[in-house]
This record gives sequence, structure tokens and C-alpha cells, in this order.
Amino acid sequence: MAVFLQSVVSGVLVGGVYALIGIGLTLIFGVMRVINFAHGELLMVGMYLTYYAFTLLGVDPFVSVLLVAPLMFLFGVLLQRAVIQRVLGALPQNQILLTIGVGLILSNAVMLVFTSDYKILSTSYSSGSVMLGGISVSQPLFFSFLITAAVTAALYAFLIKTDIGQAIRATAQDREAAQLMGVNVGRIGLLAFGLGTALAGTAGALVSPTYYIFPQVGSAFTLKAFVVVVLGGMGSIIGATVGGLVIGTVESLAASYFSSGIKEIFVYLLFLFVLLVKPSGLLGKSRM
Amino acid sequence: MRALPALLSLAALAALLALPAAVTSPYALHVMILLFLAVIQGESWNVLGGYTGQYSVGHAAWFGLGAYGTLMLMQFEHVAPWWGVWPAVALAVGAALVVGSITFRLRGPYFVLASIAVAEIFRLVALNWKDMTNGAEGILTSDLPPLQVAGHVVTDFATKVPFYYAGLALAVLTIAANWAVQHSKLGYCFQAIREDQDAAHSLGIALTFYKNVALAISAFFTAWAGAFYALYVGFIDPGTVLSTEVSVQFVLISIIGGIGTIGGPVVGALVLVPLSEALRANLLSDAIFKLHLADETSPTGLFLKDNLAHAHALIYGILMVVVILFMPDGVLGFARGLVARRRRAAAAAQAEGSAS
Repeated sequence: MAVFLQSVVSGVLVGGVYALIGIGLTLIFGVMRVINFAHGELLMVGMYLTYYAFTLLGVDPFVSVLLVAPLMFLFGVLLQRAVIQRVLGALPQNQILLTIGVGLILSNAVMLVFTSDYKILSTSYSSGSVMLGGISVSQPLFFSFLITAAVTAALYAFLIKTDIGQAIRATAQDREAAQLMGVNVGRIGLLAFGLGTALAGTAGALVSPTYYIFPQVGSAFTLKAFVVVVLGGMGSIIGATVGGLVIGTVESLAASYFSSGIKEIFVYLLFLFVLLVKPSGLLGKSRM
Repeated sequence: MRALPALLSLAALAALLALPAAVTSPYALHVMILLFLAVIQGESWNVLGGYTGQYSVGHAAWFGLGAYGTLMLMQFEHVAPWWGVWPAVALAVGAALVVGSITFRLRGPYFVLASIAVAEIFRLVALNWKDMTNGAEGILTSDLPPLQVAGHVVTDFATKVPFYYAGLALAVLTIAANWAVQHSKLGYCFQAIREDQDAAHSLGIALTFYKNVALAISAFFTAWAGAFYALYVGFIDPGTVLSTEVSVQFVLISIIGGIGTIGGPVVGALVLVPLSEALRANLLSDAIFKLHLADETSPTGLFLKDNLAHAHALIYGILMVVVILFMPDGVLGFARGLVARRRRAAAAAQAEGSAS
């Protein structure tokens, strides 16, 4: 029972970050109907930014979110402008291949510049943990969960309370109707891609104290982000939040009861299962 | 009009058959073998992706099964590869049919995602099932035994020439398979599914059945390609035969040339293989030094020399983006468009000339 509780708690903590990755992806998909296969690579870029902010400038990884998120937002806007914009009406397959290409460019450009060596960002609290009611909670995971929760809450408030947030939701719901209502959907697309990229970068900053940092780390996160999003329902932000927590927990349980090497197999099997049984996900509309 | 391509193909085949007699440089043969391998990969992906419109980004699964199956049978059960490759290929086709029956209910992006997830599952199994696969260490082949038929040694594998002919034969077979698909009722069913699934379904075309047939053909040649790669290179690990990068390569070869055509993957291979070989052989960095864009002994120069050799994946990414943005029908489609535009312009000019 102790093992079970322990696994669930650390699964939920990790799942918070997965949720954040998924929210970025689902936001991009919801507004632009583009599946971004470079999402994990964007996260990887966020990890490198965080790593160098820490080693060169001495900025704590959790504080560097304030630096990484705006930088990544700009990067996302540029990427959207230069590349993604051009395939908005194209076949979904072509969009997928294009974003896979973008991901390859990012990971290999990073490899070219920073080599493929594994980097470790170790802070004073990297291996620290606190006991909460008999359960040990890793300090970096706990901090990152708190920040994730704050970012998610802020994003919800932004989407629900503000005019721009409403325009984003309107565009996601019905692009043409939103356009007829005077929403500049092109600009909303830029904003959504920027936001999604900023969220991926934020997630990268948050995981950097607990993961190895290397150029190819992104692809695992891309696939995981999809599992999260498909589980919750493509385009649903609440769905992505739920999906992230579920995937984190499944992974953590699989790691405790089987082995951490094969925990991802469980995640992908769950993914295939959900795709087949309810492709619309837990909270989304069917897009079979 | 029809006879010309056939004649050209026959001439090319005759030249390729004669080539090892004239060219003895192992490196030239090596590049040709890589070229054949890329043609097999592209053409086998094309059966499923090109004609049926199912963009699998998980072909590394069948490639890896062919590679691992053949080498594992050889290393651990001492089965000679030309016998061992058959059960390995059968296993890949069987697994593909099981996976296809499940994932072909999904469409568009969902199918793409599922295909990637399946290949990842295979990669993780190969990585973690250490007793059977050696895990991340991979499998290194000892020397291949000579091929014997009825006690006579037909060929040994001491030189690259037997691999050259085996690769050529497989490449010709996969091209022939594409030709057969394109010119049969089966191929029309495939293309109907590609153009409009729902319409095809309402005409009574059993979607999952035909997609599975396409996948079976595709996986058959893909697994052969995997076995061929494993035996030729002599070393496999989960990263080199089962990773997403391998799957992407299948798609890339077809996309660059032009999907859904017989010549497309050949053109794609002709673009991709020399390019990555040129990078590996440092031709790009040498060119940069010759043009005095960087000094060979400067830190930048040393950096370029060290790293550009490993940049082929970067080039793949750039090619993918450029092709999809600027020539979504591939090099072949692009060239055809150019020719058609020329002709139209010429016809228009002629019409104008006769009018005035």
C-alpha cells in the first residue's frame, strides 16, 4: 500500500508537467488544427535555455521560467510565421511531416552546436526530498508541480476572463464564425502557437533538474504529449490536464511494479487502447 | 511514348548488372548498395503510403523485425541467414497484419500517431529484452557462412559484389511489385481508398482488408530490407534499425521523389544517398574550406570538420521542410509541373503568333 501511494503521488507530480506539455500541444491543435510534431523538441530547446541560464548566469531553473517562457513565445511566433503558417490548409499528413522535419532540424542543430553529450543540471535541492505523511516527496518535482499548477490556473483565467482568451476559444470552436465576428484568426494563430511554444519551453525548464539534457530528449516528450492529448481529447485543455495526470500515474505505477525501462510501453499501449476504444478521448469530440 | 521508359529501364538494368565488372572500388560499390537499400525502403513504403495513402511513420518496426529476426536466428540458433530471413520476414508480415487490423480503423493523423507508437513499442522491447536482443549493445554478426546449394559453394561474402547483386535484385523486385500494384485491380482499390475512403467504402471496397494487403506487401519488402541491412552492415542496435529516425527515412525517400509513383522513390534515393555520403565523407566541409568561407585550422573550421559529418539528420529535416513547403509532389512532380508549364507557355506563344 505504501508503495502504491508513493507511486501515485510521484506520478501525479510528474503528471502535472505532462499536463503542461499536453496543454501547449492541444492549444495549438485546437486553434490551428495543426498537429505539432516538434513539440518535444521545443521542450528540449527550453531545457537547453534553462541549462545555460543556470550554468552561465546562475539563474535557478524554476526562476528561469520567467526568462524561458517569453523567449520561447517569440520563437514560436517566428516559427509559425516562417513555416507553419504555410501549411495551414494542407493535408494533415503533410503538416505532420513538416513538423517532424522542424523537430529534426531543432534536435540536430542543437546537437551540432552543443554536441550530443548528456548534461545534468544539479541544484542544491536536486536530490532533496521532504516527508509528507509518510510519503517522500522529491523537492524539484514538488516545486515544478506548484509552478505547473500556477501556470495552468493563469492560463485558464486568461482563456476564460480576457477578450483575447475568448477570441482564442472562439477560433478553436469555429474558425469561420470567429472570423465573421471580427476575430483576426491569423493573429490568434500566431498567439496560440507562441503560447503553445512558451508552455513547452516552461515544461522544459521545469523538468530540467530531473531529466538528462541531450538533443534527442524531445522525441520521447512529443509522443508522450500526444498520448496525454489523445487521452483527454484533442483540443480540450481540461482533457489535457486530466490526461497528463493519468499518464504520469500510469508511468509511475508501471515503473514501481514492473521496471522503469518498460514504463513507456504501458503508456503507448494505453494510448493505442484509447485510440481504438474512444478515439475522441475522455473529453473531446470524435475526429476519426 | 510507353516504350521509351521501358527501354531506358532495361538499359539502366543492363548497365547496373555489368557495373561490378568495370568498377572494383569497394567504396563505389558500397554507395551503390546503400542506394539499392534506399530504393527498396522507398518503394516498399510507397505501396502503403503512396498508393493507399496511409502515411506510416512506423516502418522501422518491420525493418527492425527483419533485421533482428535474421541476426538473432543466426547468432543464437545458428540458422544460415538465407534460411533465417524467411521466418523473420514472415514474422514481420504477421505482426504487421495484427497491428494493421487494429490501427487501420484510425484515420489521418491518428493513424500516423498509432504507427509511431507501435514502432516505439518494438524499440523499447528490443532495448529491454536483453537476453534475446543484447539490449542497447546490439548484435554484431560474425562472418557470414558461404552460400551453398547442394554442397557447392555458390558464393562467399568476402567482397561487396554478392551484396551488390542481392541489393540490385531486391530493388528490382520491389520496383516490379510497385509496377504490378499500379497496373492491377488491387492497385485501383488502393488508390480509391487514398482518394476518398468513404466513397471507396460505399462502392463496396473493404477498407481494412485492402489496407492490410498493402501493408503486408509493404512490410514484406521492408523486412527484407532490414535483413539485408543487418547482414551487410553486420551490426544492429535499437537506435539504428528501430528508431523513429529510421521510419522518417522511409517516408523521406518517397516524399522527396514524389509519392504514389514508381520512379519517385528511385529519385528520392538518388537525392538522399549521395547527399548523406557526401556529408559523411566531409565533402561539404571541404567545399567550405575551398571557398574560403572558413579556415581549416581555425576553431570554427575544426568544429565544422568534426560535426558536419554527422549532420545528415539535420539535412533530412531541412529537406523535409523544403520539399513539403515548395514541392509537395516531390522532385518528379515538380519536374513534371515545369515541363507542363513550358509546354503550355509554348502553346500559348504559338497561338498568339498564329493569331497576329
